[in-house]
Amino acid sequence: MATLTTTTPRAGRRETTERAPRTASPRVDIYETDKAYVLLADLPGVASDGLDVEAEHGTLVIRGRVERPSTPPDYQEYELTDYQRAFTLTEDLDPGATTATLRDGVLRVEIPKSPQMQPKKIPVRTE
Amino acid sequence: MDTRASWDPWQEMRRLQRDMEHLFTDVAPAWRWPLSGEYPPVNITRGEQGITLEALCPGVDRASLDVTVVGDAVTIRGERKPEPGVAEERYHRRERPLGAFTRTVGFGEHLDADRTQASYTNGILRLQLARAAEQAPRKIVIQH
Repeated sequence: MATLTTTTPRAGRRETTERAPRTASPRVDIYETDKAYVLLADLPGVASDGLDVEAEHGTLVIRGRVERPSTPPDYQEYELTDYQRAFTLTEDLDPGATTATLRDGVLRVEIPKSPQMQPKKIPVRTE
Repeated sequence: MDTRASWDPWQEMRRLQRDMEHLFTDVAPAWRWPLSGEYPPVNITRGEQGITLEALCPGVDRASLDVTVVGDAVTIRGERKPEPGVAEERYHRRERPLGAFTRTVGFGEHLDADRTQASYTNGILRLQLARAAEQAPRKIVIQH
């Protein structure tokens, strides 16, 4: 069961002007703990004020804006582009309690599971 | 004219291959992208004051990040480490490359290691490299 699944970015960006900047889909890792789902996304070049994380209506959307250099480099192996990626959240998650941190170009999003979905320890009585 | 679609085993193979690729991109890949090729990618700008190198390497363990300047070359070393204490089977998706890397970039002109400055911000390693002081031009006497 993959509770966080990727969704196709919403159509419509294509309908904007042809000069709309390109966006890249960041690479992510997703793992599960007893209490939460954790998503790690590589967003090099994004500062915290350029980051936007929304978790509502069953969707988690990550957007990152980068500062591009004013002049192109003399030798170029990569191009900084804005990032965008969306994930579907299932009902067993509690998106209202989502936390997000950004460190060294890596975004970490933690979405807790709903309390009723968390494992409960059942005490066993011996008679 | 025969318009019946004939069975093409190769087409069937290609369809299966496409389905498999779809399967592996949609479901969490069980394997991890290795850090291969030239990592990290770099952009270089040569200015009058010096040379700027910017390497795209997010999430590098800061203790492992190491920059050395020898002659005309810069070597960058580092490691992207996995999350501590997370078992393999806990992963639903793993796309981020991990591992240790070493990359050496040569510039064709001598660099001054003492005046090299390095910063690591938002996952970009930025090196400000200074050229070594040029030696005074020497007049070569031509022997007759």
